[in-house]
Amino acid sequence: MIRGIWDRETVALMLLAAAFPVFVAWVQADGWYAIGRLIFFLVVAGIWHVIFMLARAQPPSFAGALTALTIAILAPHDLGIFALLLGTSFGVVMAELAFGGWGRNVLNPAVVALAFISFGYPASNWPELAVQIGWAAFPAALIGVLTGVMSLRLLLGVAVVTVITLYAGVDISETWIAGAVVLVLMVCDPVTASATRLGRWAYGAFYAAMFVLFTCQWGDAAPIQIAVAAALLASLAAPLFDEIAISIWLYRRNRRIG
Amino acid sequence: MAAGNLWHTLTEPLVDKNPITLQILGICSALAVTTSLDTALTMAISLTVVLVLSALVVSLIRKHIPGTIRLIVQIVIVASLVIVIDQFLQAFFFDISRRLSVFVSLITTNCLVLGRTESFSRNNPPFPSMVDALGNGLGYSLILCIIGSLRELFGNGSILGFQILRTVDQGGWYVPMNLMLLAPSAFFLLGGLVWAIRSIRTDQAEAPEYAPPETAERAG
Repeated sequence: MIRGIWDRETVALMLLAAAFPVFVAWVQADGWYAIGRLIFFLVVAGIWHVIFMLARAQPPSFAGALTALTIAILAPHDLGIFALLLGTSFGVVMAELAFGGWGRNVLNPAVVALAFISFGYPASNWPELAVQIGWAAFPAALIGVLTGVMSLRLLLGVAVVTVITLYAGVDISETWIAGAVVLVLMVCDPVTASATRLGRWAYGAFYAAMFVLFTCQWGDAAPIQIAVAAALLASLAAPLFDEIAISIWLYRRNRRIG
Repeated sequence: MAAGNLWHTLTEPLVDKNPITLQILGICSALAVTTSLDTALTMAISLTVVLVLSALVVSLIRKHIPGTIRLIVQIVIVASLVIVIDQFLQAFFFDISRRLSVFVSLITTNCLVLGRTESFSRNNPPFPSMVDALGNGLGYSLILCIIGSLRELFGNGSILGFQILRTVDQGGWYVPMNLMLLAPSAFFLLGGLVWAIRSIRTDQAEAPEYAPPETAERAG
């Protein structure tokens, strides 16, 4: 990473900037209801960040705001406040803060929170994302790549699998919006994505492949559930891709140098 | 052995040396049978009975067990007791026995039972061995009851079958959490419990395996 102004919070702010087009499209589609929801999740995530700052001297991060925004966009609408509170707290505390804060987490807190809600309350009513939110994912990815916080290789990995899918004639017209939003908001999170060049290709391709597989085979799931499950599996597999990439690099190097 | 010492042997495994939260033994059954409190209680009682009786038997014949085959002898004793308990449950509590399925038989392979017979009963007279076994059984039971009641309360809104939180299906407000009835929730609850205990009793916390690297903020 470039030294100087680049620290953890700069990356978090750049990710927030990248999420801005999605945020705008979402507020335009849902109106004041969206704002109220966002404030609720911001308060919940913020309280946990402050508690951990006081208890463990972990500096709070703007990444908490990104988590709150992601959950606000994707969480089911008809769930009670208790369930949303529990799911968000679980994701933020168990997936992020317990590990020492953003940057040391293994899984994205929003992915964990949404997976928790998805398995805990399977009958809930997942939101239908408006189509412009899906299109807003493209400028979001562009901002992320230009500012250097999202990996182009990762997105290309997704693109390759998507093109193959379309050629194979699989119908993803129902689910691609959720897939794109989850991609820019959670899968591209540099902390939980793979970190090696080859690993990023594999990671993006794996996410897209899981997404297509679930779209075809998981009949009664909502698009967001499908995308979140694919993101969860991909981030669990991310260290493996890095490990493989490093092994290949070592093997080649040993062959060359002897 | 003095009475105070015995009392110490009995109470120490409850929190200070709890077999589940400190030694992380016997968690397989702790995960599997805690979907409701009644199965958790049955399992806890069965395990405590097996543990105490096997401690008695092993301790009685401790001077006659050849060292080379001691594990086999201990397992035979434990397994016989488990079969007795299993038959007893099938005869008198058939419904619960069916819900516990294979897990009562699996007490045989519970690390907790073998751990106590191997480390304590083998070297101590019968009465202290039984007290130690009872203490460990109660420590195990305590954790099982806590996790079982939490899972039943949040998963079904009830405790021991009595409805505490009225669920939406019954016209109440509580949306039951299906996750609580699946195995991962027991991992989360157990992890949270271990975390809570070790935050209060800091002497139980293990030394960190890695020191976190110096960050830019800290280096200035």
